[in-house]
Order: sequence, then C-alpha cells, then structure tokens
Amino acid sequence: MNRLNELFAAKKDNLLSIYFTAGYPELGTTLDIAEALEKAGVDFLEIGFPYSDPVADGPVIQHSSEVALQNGMTLNLLFEQLADLRKRVSIPIMLMGYFNPVVQYGVERFCKKAAEVGVDGIIVPDLPIYEYETLYAGIFKNYNLSNIFMVTPQTSEERIRKIDALSNSFIYLLSSSSITGTALQLSVNIEDYYKRIKAMNLVNPAIIGFGITDQKSFNKACEYASGAIVGTKFVKLLAERDYLEKIPGFIKNIRA
Amino acid sequence: MKIKVCGLKYADNIEAVSALGPDYMGFVCYGPSPRYAGELDAGTMNHVPRSIIKTAVFVNEDKETISALIEKYGFDAIQLHGNEDAEFCAYFKGQVKVIKAFGINEAFDFKVLDDFSDAVDLFLFDTKTNIHGGSGNSFDWNLLDKYQLDIPFFLSGGLSLENLEEVKKISHPQFYGVDLNSKFETAPGMKDIGKLGKAFEIIKQEPMNYGVNEQGYYGDFGGAYIPEMLYPNVEELRREYLSILDDEGFKTEFNELLKDYVGRPSPLYHAKRYSERYGANIFFKREDLNHTGSHKINNAIGQILLAKRLGKKRIIAETGAGQHGVATATVCALMGIECVVYMGEIDMARQAPNVSRMKMLGAKVMPAKSGSKTLKDATNEALRDWIANPVDTHYIIGSVVGPYPYPDMVARFQSIISLETKKQLKEHTGSELPDYVMACVGGGSNAMGMFYHFLDDENVKLVAVEAAGKGVDSGHSAATTFLGREGVLHGSRTILMQTDDGQVVEPYSISAGLDYPGIGPQHAYLYKIHRAEYASATDDEALQAGLLCCQLEGIIPAIETAHALAHLEKMKFKPTDNVVICISGRGDKDLDTYIKYFGF
Ligand SMILES: Cc1ncc(COP(=O)(O)O)c(C=O)c1O
Repeated sequence: MNRLNELFAAKKDNLLSIYFTAGYPELGTTLDIAEALEKAGVDFLEIGFPYSDPVADGPVIQHSSEVALQNGMTLNLLFEQLADLRKRVSIPIMLMGYFNPVVQYGVERFCKKAAEVGVDGIIVPDLPIYEYETLYAGIFKNYNLSNIFMVTPQTSEERIRKIDALSNSFIYLLSSSSITGTALQLSVNIEDYYKRIKAMNLVNPAIIGFGITDQKSFNKACEYASGAIVGTKFVKLLAERDYLEKIPGFIKNIRA
Repeated sequence: MKIKVCGLKYADNIEAVSALGPDYMGFVCYGPSPRYAGELDAGTMNHVPRSIIKTAVFVNEDKETISALIEKYGFDAIQLHGNEDAEFCAYFKGQVKVIKAFGINEAFDFKVLDDFSDAVDLFLFDTKTNIHGGSGNSFDWNLLDKYQLDIPFFLSGGLSLENLEEVKKISHPQFYGVDLNSKFETAPGMKDIGKLGKAFEIIKQEPMNYGVNEQGYYGDFGGAYIPEMLYPNVEELRREYLSILDDEGFKTEFNELLKDYVGRPSPLYHAKRYSERYGANIFFKREDLNHTGSHKINNAIGQILLAKRLGKKRIIAETGAGQHGVATATVCALMGIECVVYMGEIDMARQAPNVSRMKMLGAKVMPAKSGSKTLKDATNEALRDWIANPVDTHYIIGSVVGPYPYPDMVARFQSIISLETKKQLKEHTGSELPDYVMACVGGGSNAMGMFYHFLDDENVKLVAVEAAGKGVDSGHSAATTFLGREGVLHGSRTILMQTDDGQVVEPYSISAGLDYPGIGPQHAYLYKIHRAEYASATDDEALQAGLLCCQLEGIIPAIETAHALAHLEKMKFKPTDNVVICISGRGDKDLDTYIKYFGF
C-alpha cells in the first residue's frame, strides 16, 4: 500500500489531480505550489520533471519545460527540493517525465530516491510496457512505487487488460489520441469509448487526463471515471502574477 | 544450413546419429556400395524422429523397387544417383521429396539441369567420379556460380571438419545444406559421433548477427520507446511491414519505380584521379545521380508504397537539409497524396531552395519553432502530428532512426545501395567484396544502406564519418559517437549527445543533414561491438574535400557526403585495396554555403 492505494480505497469518485512542471515559473517554488494545491482541496499531484524533447506535450507544457530547464531544474535538484516533501504535503505524489533523464539518473537510483522522499507513483509516457515488464517492474515494486500507464481510444481491449494487470493504482485515460493541451473530446465515439472502458470492470480505477479545463469538463469526466487530471490549464495559471494566491480560486472553479 | 548425414546402416549408430538431430538421414539402397544398408531394422527406422527426413539413396533402380522400399521403411525422400531422367524423377515428386544428384567437374554443363527444374525438389552436387556415389574428394566450389536455377541444392563430396568453415562462406542463394558422409566415419557406414558432433557445432554456430531481433533490438539498442498515443500507429507498422516488403506485387512496384523513376541502378564509378591521390582503387557509388539528388528517395519510394497498402491518406515527414522533405514531397506528388513536412525554422532559412522545391511539389512546409528549431525539433513536431492523427496518417521517417520497426525498415529500403554495389564491383574487380566501405552519418541511412549487404563479411571494413562541426571539442559539433552516451531519443535506445541530466544537447554542423544529436540504433550497436569504425570530419575538412571532388572528378558533392570524402585524407590504404565510398547526394543545394566559404 502506498498513499495512492489508500486514496483510491477511501474515495471512489470526483478525484482531482493537478499537473505542474517543477522549476516553472520559478526554480524554488515546487513545494509551495504543492502545498497550496493540497490546501485548496486537490486529492493528488503530478510533479513534472522537465525534458528538452517532450513529444507528448503541447506548446504550453513544452514552454514550461523549456523555462524550467533554463531556470536550472534537474532531477538532482528536484530530489533536493523534495527532501521536505512529507513535512509539508500529505496527499499522494507522482513524478511525471520522459525516460531519458531517468536512464541517465539510473532507473534504480531514481526509484530509490523517489521512495525516500515520499513519492508514490511514476508516470513515464515513453517507457513502454514490454521494457517496463521485462526490465524495471521488479525495481518499482521493491520501492513500493506505482507505475501508471496510459490508455487511448485506440488501445485494444487485450492491451487494456494487460495494462490493468500491470497497474496497481490507477489507469490514465486519455480523452483522445492527443498531446497535452488539446480540448476534451465529447463526441458520440468518445462516450462510447468511456462506456466501453467502464463495462470492462477493470481492477484499477480510471482517471481521465488531457483536456480538462473547467468545471464542465471535470464533471463530464467524473461521470465516466473516478476523477480527472488538470495540466495545461493549471500551467497557464502559473504564468500569471501572484499565481500562488490564485490557486484556491482556480481549484474552486473546477470543483464547486 | 541444413545437415544431411548419409550412408547409415547400423541400428545403434542410426540411433546415435538421430540423437544429434540432423535434418536428413540417408540410407544407401544400392547393393555395390560399401555403405549398402541392406535389410534395415524396422523398429530402429520407426524410432527415427519424424522431424528427420529419412532419405533412400538409389542408383538406376526400377520404380517398383523404389516404391516398395518407400512403403516398407516410410522414407520421406529419395535421392537418385544414376542416369534417371526428369520423367523418372517427376514420377515420384509429390509423393516423396525428390533429390537428384549430379557429379560436378570443370566440364559439367549446368544446362542439363534445366529439364529437371519441375521434376525435383532438390539437387545434390557431388564430386564427379567414375563410380556412382562418393569419392571423398571435394570439387571446385567456384563452379557453383554457374548454377542459376532457383531449386535449392545440397553440397556433397569430401566435406570434413577441415573445410566446413570454408563451406559456411558459400553465399550462393540456393545453397541449402551439406551432405556429411565418408570423412565422419570410423569404418564405411559407421559414423563417428564425436566428429559429427563437432561438425554440427561448427555449422550451427551462427555468424554474428547484426540484424534486428523480434523485439526490435540490436543488442541493447533499439526498441520502441514511445508514448501510448503512438503505440497503435507503430504497432500497425510492426505487424505489417515485413509481409508487405515481402509481397511480390510490392517488390515489383518498388523495383520498377527505382528503375524508371529514380534512375537505378546508380553507377559505381571508378574514380581514377582519386585512386591516384589516395593510392588505392576508389569507387564512388553515385546516389547523387538519383532523382531528387540523394539516396533519400529510395526510402521515400518504399514508404509511400507501404503507406498506400496500409490505406493511409496523408503523409507527414521531418526534414533537416530538406533532401528527405523533397524526396517525400516528390513521392506524394507522384501518388497524389497530401503531404506535410516539418522543418526547423533555422533549417528553413539555411536550405531555402529546398523549401521552395517542396512547395512547388505541392507539400505544406510547417516550421518547427520549438527548442533548437532544427532537425530534432522537426522530428518532435512530426511525432506530435502523428499522435493527433493516428488513423489516416503515415509518418515517413527519413533515416534509420525512430522506434522499431523504422530503423530496420529504412535500412531495408536503402539496402539497394549495397546490393547493387556488390554486383557492380564484381564487374569492375572480379570480386563483389571491397576492402573498405565508407559513408557519412547523420541518422545513418545512407551508411546503413551502403553497409547492409557487407555486414556479415567481416573482412570488409566499414567506416562511418560523422560531422565534427568546428571540432569535436569545440562545443559546436555533431560527432555523436565521440560526444554521446547511451540513452533514449525519438523512440529508440541509442547513443545521443546529452547533458549529465539527460537533456538532449544541440548539435552543430555546417551540413544540415548531419546536424542531429543521435544516430540510428543499429549504428550504435555496430559502434559498440566495433564492427564499424566511426570517424569524424570538421566543417573545414568537409568543405575542402567537397571542392577537391569538384576539381579532381568533376562532381559537386553534398556537404554531407563531403564529410565521408574528407576522411580519405586520414586513411592508410594498400595499393591493392578496393574502396567504395557512398556519394550520398549532390551539392546543388549547398552552392550558397560553398560559395560563401570559398568566395567564388
Ligand atoms: C546528401 C545527404 N547525405 C547524407 C545525409 C544524412 O542522412 P543519413 O545519415 O540518414 O544518410 C543527408 C540528410 O539529409 C543528405 O541529404
């Protein structure tokens, strides 16, 4: 059991998660943002570690990564910043980023460090199932970290079953095959897709990500899944002045 | 390579040989032979595993006797050593496998085999003797070059532990297997199990495998490190590419377009003044003479035909120098398919003529404005486009990079370069194998195409030349193997230039086509296991070499290609060395750069 498992055991719906890029807009505010989000009532968090070539991201998160790197964010520095994580934040935390920085840091060392500072889950979109299963699953397990996989409308039922079997927290459901920052799709096809997933009775709860921007899209997502993740819209807020003060209002707007 | 052990007769010996697991076992049913099997033990014959093809060997026997023996012992194949004609062979074909044996010497006329082409399953080529059956001597295997039919053959005659390594080098496309007999015996008909065991070991020892495995890896390199959003696209390709490439209709269309549209085969030109200067026989493989001016068109043709077969309606591509973009725009015009090319904003400025060319060909050119605004960012943008358009769009990657199956697929399309070279070199020099093969490396597609059919010939030295930019240690370089470390870039595990923190480093080269921070995973593998040598040439060295090529051979090479030419200055050849260098593209697109540099 980690904090993610405890959360999903205790709360089955309307879960809200927020993504933000560590080191953006300023280098030193990672924990301040996390703390403010917890206070505002967010259930769990994804902290992004920046990468120079984020192929699954749209312009907003790309830009945040670029700025974070210019500010000097690295995995080493992020882990230093997170040393006090569990003194200040109690909700589940996931680290999200691309695989190459993890390879350079060392996969085992990365997992060890993440567990030490109190991280609960990892999302690495470009780490494929085959490599995870054959090379890394044992390491993740040793450090009690959940690895989170994504599912798109194109993912086959067989593969979704496999992902469900490999997961032990939640499944990251994409509303469409898209990069971050694309609007939530609500066509008939998409409703069918959500229904199809629901009908599969998966072991792990599903959380919908990409394209959640406001109360309406959040509520819609919660009809079909246990909750939703807001990324791009929140990263845009961070570009504004006094962003820390604006966090409670932002969250209130999403879940009234 | 199949193994046939022939001339068995003793029950215990038959069992011991079966245990080694040959593909065929032969029993001589010809009285005068010292290995005449005579009455075989039915129980023993029944115990031979079904996977082993039991073969009865006859010399001018009548049909009835043969049929009776097939019936009696359950033979799966017959091998005919006498004067049986095609009609006689055809009588048994379909019922059992039919192997017709011929004795080969200088005087043998391979035309006599034509009659048998519909009547037999296999030939067996033995040493010509006056008696029927083995002599224990081998014949001159070079004579096999004269055999042109497409029926596979066994090689027989004097094969021993001493010459099996030589046998393994026979590269005839129809060479099917070896027939082991008299050199593996303690007495006629009594096989030496120890010696056979050694022979099996030698034969089964695969040559070092440089190709991709089923999971898409070359050693530790390769794979498909892609987000789930790309999985269905890449999986569809992985599932389909080999069967499409293997399809006769596809091959015909591909080869016809290469011939009539691209202008292949591209010449292999003996560069005499270069040969004089560098003291070796230097040959240029002229990919610069292809339609659109570089090797990139080979891959673009292959992929557009593949995309059509997958029912795709829209093509995207990335481009650095613009050569791949132009090649892609060209094949899209040819097929009437919508085309979008992503190109770094900086590259659009330095390769402006190619931008116009793509537009004239009807393609939409989209500037990549993120990151360094060069090739790697154009690749990112193309991948993002593909994520958003998973169903109707095919992404034509321009080099041997990207997630599996791209590196293998692109290498296969470019392998036409070395396939032609082998044949052409044989005409020039009498041997299809050169001493050196050289090419420049950006992502590595022209180099992979140039290396492909030489990979297994360990005597052919492979030399790849990267762009050192302003010098390997200058901080402005694209010499990936010198400056890079293992990691993941654009979907594959490879060697890339990166910071300690795993951020991709901006490469630099005067040539946009080599200005890439990684290399294809197969190159990373060839580098790591030292199968190929990776060198580098600076901007200055390349430009000087480009000019030298103009003035010595009347050929203006692309600046990419000029890097490979530049490395000739650092090579030490023997006068007898044959050296093939891939002239990957022509320099028209680079005139501005040349002119500025030399002030013409
Ligand atoms: C003429 C020429 N040669 C070489 C290259 C480098 O690509 P690769 O290493 O894939 O052959 C390019 C790329 O644009 C090119 O245009």
